Amino acid sequence: MRVVNSARIKQLRMLLLGGLSVLFSACSNEPVSERPEPVVAPIPVDALVVDFPKGTYGANVVETIPGDIATVNPLVNESASGSAVIGRILDGLVTLHPETGVIIPNLAKSWDISEDNLQYTFYLREGVHWSDGQPFTADDVLFTWSCFFAKKTNPETGELLLSEDGIPQYRYNSRATFGQQINGKEPLVEKLDDYTVRFTTPEVYAPFLLFGGGEEILPKHVLQQAFDDGTLMDQWSVETAINEPWEIVGLNMFVLESYRPGERMVFARNPNYWKVNLEGERLPYVERVITKIVQDVNSSNVAFAQGLTDFETITPDNVGWVKRGEERHGYTILDMGPSSTTNFVWFNMRPGNDVEGLPHVEPYKFEWFTDKRFRQAISYGINREGIIRGVFFDRADILNGYVSPKRKFWYNDSIRKFSFKPENSKALFTEMGFVYEAEKLHDMKGNPVEFTLMTNSNNGLRVEMATVFKENMAALGIEVELQFLDFNTIVTKISDSFDYEACMLGLGGGAPDPFAGKDILMSGGRMHFWNPQQKTPATEWEARIDELMLLVGRYTDVEKRKKYFFEVQEILAEEQPLVFLVSAKDYVGYRNRWNNIEPTTLGGINWNMESLWAEPKE
Amino acid sequence: MIAFIFRRLLTLIPLLLGVTMLVFILMSLAPGDFLTPVKAQRDIPAELIQAVQSEFGLDRPWYVQYYKWLGNVLQGNLGHSWAFKLPVADLIGQRIWATFLLSLCAFVFSWSIAIPLGVLAAVYKDSIFDRISAGLAYAALSIPEFFLALLLVFVAAQTGWFPMGGATSIDYDYMSWGGKLWDRIHHLILPTLALGVGSIASIMRIMRANFLDTIRAEFVTTARAKGVKERVVMFKHVLRNAINPLISAFGFAFSGLLSGALMVEIVLQYPGLGQLMYQSILREDQFVVLASVMLGCSMLVFGNLLADILLAWSDPRIRLEKNK
Repeated sequence: MRVVNSARIKQLRMLLLGGLSVLFSACSNEPVSERPEPVVAPIPVDALVVDFPKGTYGANVVETIPGDIATVNPLVNESASGSAVIGRILDGLVTLHPETGVIIPNLAKSWDISEDNLQYTFYLREGVHWSDGQPFTADDVLFTWSCFFAKKTNPETGELLLSEDGIPQYRYNSRATFGQQINGKEPLVEKLDDYTVRFTTPEVYAPFLLFGGGEEILPKHVLQQAFDDGTLMDQWSVETAINEPWEIVGLNMFVLESYRPGERMVFARNPNYWKVNLEGERLPYVERVITKIVQDVNSSNVAFAQGLTDFETITPDNVGWVKRGEERHGYTILDMGPSSTTNFVWFNMRPGNDVEGLPHVEPYKFEWFTDKRFRQAISYGINREGIIRGVFFDRADILNGYVSPKRKFWYNDSIRKFSFKPENSKALFTEMGFVYEAEKLHDMKGNPVEFTLMTNSNNGLRVEMATVFKENMAALGIEVELQFLDFNTIVTKISDSFDYEACMLGLGGGAPDPFAGKDILMSGGRMHFWNPQQKTPATEWEARIDELMLLVGRYTDVEKRKKYFFEVQEILAEEQPLVFLVSAKDYVGYRNRWNNIEPTTLGGINWNMESLWAEPKE
Repeated sequence: MIAFIFRRLLTLIPLLLGVTMLVFILMSLAPGDFLTPVKAQRDIPAELIQAVQSEFGLDRPWYVQYYKWLGNVLQGNLGHSWAFKLPVADLIGQRIWATFLLSLCAFVFSWSIAIPLGVLAAVYKDSIFDRISAGLAYAALSIPEFFLALLLVFVAAQTGWFPMGGATSIDYDYMSWGGKLWDRIHHLILPTLALGVGSIASIMRIMRANFLDTIRAEFVTTARAKGVKERVVMFKHVLRNAINPLISAFGFAFSGLLSGALMVEIVLQYPGLGQLMYQSILREDQFVVLASVMLGCSMLVFGNLLADILLAWSDPRIRLEKNK
């Protein structure tokens, strides 16, 4: 036998250990350069005083976020988790009142609107500083808007580079670049002095105060260089978040302290935040927010139910079992009433033929779908209360129209309502000339009334709702075939190929201004589900909605806007292009150790995060 | 030898070309593209979608996109991730170590248990120990990886002995060096178990079968007849001959080092390459998917190459060059 060389083994062991520790440090993602010392600026003259009892500083919040972020750059971000993270760090000039939904001052302490409703002058809070200690001024607002609308130029001559159609091209294509244009024209931004900014809209455009004023402000002193050398869109990537999180400078109450992809991010309190408590002490009380990244909403709910996290939004299908842990883990769950999400069914009303020359919808079915009596009859035949009881276990509300009752201000309660009355359905079918043969409904030409309903397979509640819908239709003598498809397939079908008969989908909250729905409600809209991107309105009622929506956009007088938008809701209820079903309720939970908790339907549990406090744990 | 390695690496080129082309075709056939989920959001202007579409080249047919991508790759540029706005290489670099660490642990764990167990089971054939280990091996083989991972999550949730996923604790950044090391090990235990148990069983069975085959060989009888000590017969003569098939298996295991942990990473929420790959496929973030596929392919070729070289080293009968 060979004598084992012990020295060699030792060497090997050292090598292995060394290798392992290299590995450990390699995946620990330690920041590359040094974290700068925080610069604390004096409390701003125009600090906002928050009316909540004084609390204790120093507690940490632990929470979960469903889904990882892809970027921290607001110009690039498309994901909900990204928006949540960016919304922690950046802030806008105005915001919404968490209870009433009225527009209230934020970074702007006040504003004027000119006589002709074209000019908006914002007066910024004086003495506010960015999280790195640099002053916040009108230049930052101007810089932010120049990011949206900067054009591509020839680097040598400085001339505008034009596209093939002779239109100037934008340098940084972001959501705001097109979303902030008003009828294809850009609003004008001017600096009047260091703390005053004036916007001029090309035509009267009421939503500008919220949409324009709510835009998150970017720090000029940090991003100007990237703007100049053309790398603006590559800034504030996850690489920045890992290596130099302090580069992501903001005006909101937290700054990013560290980020580990797929694992968690840690936010620290912004030492320069501009809200103070009644005694003039700088907020927030919370020292750090530790946000664990989890796969989906369910795992997020599980973590809360085990007492691991502090705040949570709980889905209606999880509330039952999460509530059982209230005593044991010391948390409270509150019913916040109807959510802003909506669920609905619609029929394909797309005229014309597909690429192979075949009609999108069988002509005889197209005739039913475009007849409002057919859609009304379907709406009468749906047992919404059954859906609420069977699918949601009473944790949802009936949804009669386009606007969820949560949006109190814009909600029209006097629209036509279609409660469960199968006899009304049958009467409408008879009026259309439909007949029953052996319990099956047939149209006047003798075609059996059947259609296919598709919905996305990864939404369990929606799949169950579709099943109840099928049963309800069977009771009317209509055979519905269900198709559970991948979400991308559905989007392709409803926006490109139009090769479907009926579809069930839902919409999340969206911006709280009625004009945010213009792409859904107006006939030329990209998300005018039943027949999108029409050149001219196909029906009179769609033409009327287009007209009314333009008025909703044109008037700054809230009462007038409300009147027009109420009429839109009435038309939608009468015509039933979207047959609305139910709106799930919102539930929020918090650990009992937190104080100053005052949840609102619009703001949720932590709208007043800066005032929340708990005794810090050892 | 060098010529052999060179030849082997040359075969990588057509393989990568074929595989990436296949990925491009499949992704163009799959419904929707990277921008489809964006189209379903209500507040995205149609103009933005068009602008981004032409920026990414998504409005061109797949072969034009492939041609452009290939041109970039030949210049050493794997492209930018659309979702992350980062070079794909950087993105993979962020995650690769976590996955490598996990796979390496699972590898060391399973092989260092499986080989001795297989040898013991062969030496003490038909004993109680052999029976029990066979029973356990069949049980382990019949539990799918993801199911075992789910069971382990359940155990962790019920007992609280182990963290329920992730790679570090919340307070990791504030720990001492030793605390950090222990924290990482603590988080690695469950994923290592989930990933390693299946291969313990299979490697052990292969080891046992080979060992038994070799024990019956004539040279073993000769060695015993010469009066060589039983221990030397077993470990010097039998083991060395019995291990050859395992070296091929080693090459295969090597190829899975970076891409084999996908299921376990997803179930146990381990922040590695598998999660990134899975998310990219769901998002149709094309260039990340392509880079991951290329990585997997190259690892397979390298793994087999490594196995062949090791085989030649351990078995003098095998020659890599044909004419020498």
